[in-house]
Amino acid sequence: MAGLEGRIALVTGAGTGMGRSHAEVLAERGADIVVQDIVEDAALETAELVRTAGRRAHVAVCDIADGVALAAVIGEAAALGPIDVLVNNAGIHALTPFEEIAEAEFDRIFAVNVAGTFNAMRAVLPGMKDRRRGAIVNVASTSGQIGTPGDTHYCASKGAVLGLTKAWAKEFAAWSIRVNAVSPGPIATEMTVRNRGWEGIRERAEKEIPLRRYGLPRDVSYAVAYLAGDGAGFVTGQVIPIAGGLAIVGI
Amino acid sequence: MSEGRFAGRVALVTGAGRGMGACHARLLALGGARVVVQGRDGESVEQIATGIRTSGGEALAVAGDVSREEDVARNLDEAEAAFGPVGILVNNAGVASFGGTEAVTEESFDRVFGVNLAGTFLMTRRVVPGMKAARAGKIVNISSRFGQVGAPVSIDYCASKSGVHGLTKAWAKELAPWNICVNCVAPGGVWTEMGLAEHGGAEGIRKIEQSVPLKRWAQPEEMSHAVAFLAGPESDFITGQVLPANGGATMAGI
Repeated sequence: MAGLEGRIALVTGAGTGMGRSHAEVLAERGADIVVQDIVEDAALETAELVRTAGRRAHVAVCDIADGVALAAVIGEAAALGPIDVLVNNAGIHALTPFEEIAEAEFDRIFAVNVAGTFNAMRAVLPGMKDRRRGAIVNVASTSGQIGTPGDTHYCASKGAVLGLTKAWAKEFAAWSIRVNAVSPGPIATEMTVRNRGWEGIRERAEKEIPLRRYGLPRDVSYAVAYLAGDGAGFVTGQVIPIAGGLAIVGI
Repeated sequence: MSEGRFAGRVALVTGAGRGMGACHARLLALGGARVVVQGRDGESVEQIATGIRTSGGEALAVAGDVSREEDVARNLDEAEAAFGPVGILVNNAGVASFGGTEAVTEESFDRVFGVNLAGTFLMTRRVVPGMKAARAGKIVNISSRFGQVGAPVSIDYCASKSGVHGLTKAWAKELAPWNICVNCVAPGGVWTEMGLAEHGGAEGIRKIEQSVPLKRWAQPEEMSHAVAFLAGPESDFITGQVLPANGGATMAGI
């Protein structure tokens, strides 16, 4: 599979969990990484991992929901060179029954998951258009495809990410900019382990997941790397679920 | 990073005597797989296998028609005798059809379904026991954009490729307990001999390319990268999925 030697990738929400994993895997394939996160210490740690993999890293600390702040920190990353790959990973989640969702909570989920994705695209698009190349990988969720009870605003926000993916794929194909999405299902991140515990994870895996296990962040990162690379040069507007056999839905 | 990602694996590619199938076989061999090059025409598969061996890979040519159960059995016997059980199966063999509904004969309908659907079924049924025993396996089916969204010509081709999507999803669910992943690549327009014949040469293709969002058709190798991703360890948590590679021509279900 094509590598990412010499490419520069912006990974949002790269300080922890899957975002950190994406940054590491892209760096292993030869990409330099702009590590965006809201938490500076976390971003610095990821940047160190990128450098350990032998690649350059630039830390961009801001709230992704703040488009002006994001544009400013991405502007500072220009020293690294032009951004060829954008991984829209930053996302938040809150399991709240529908009737109990406060307006502020709803707004915050959309501000990060949808407006954050929008802001990052705005920040990198002019350069990609100028160079007539670019690969965007949005991180959706199987929740946005098939729904999850008690997860209204998250499901809706991830459904919106799929909408962005397809609309952008069509709008920017003329500049050879490809836009795709990965759609993680049950992945054992630090957050999952905290929320469910290993016992809970094992139980759900046995009962509900055809492959009878959870995935790991790397399982998602490999799909991100595939879509970011030239091997996927004819793939645009598509969604790859990484879900162990859950979400076997649309074709 | 991916040098040798198929090391120690045996891969069988059907319809590998030319076009995309030959490309899939070459890329898997490049990744270290021992590749069984299966196809109807003995000379073509031998030529592809020889090419792989010349460039340092391991390959065996087997000749047979995937729509014939006895050919499938014989080809798998030959493959297993040479290389051992098949861990990666790429169901690539397919035939096209042209013309409106009234022009489709029962014979041509049966032929299209025999190769595209029954062939995929027969090969997979023969390979599954070995995969179950190993508790590991990767099956990659090849469908078509036309199987997703239809086309105003070749109803039998469209229907057979939709059938491949059905097989992919049902097998993914049935075989997951044995850690066998089943996925599908749905190509759009690809520069192959088949494509050239269908559209009256390069000029015809160049006209159609303008209707594709990326304004081009793919090289066969680009489909092989999708196949290799779904055949390799990096997609171990992906099953039951259809990966369309069509330049944006179709963005269908989610």
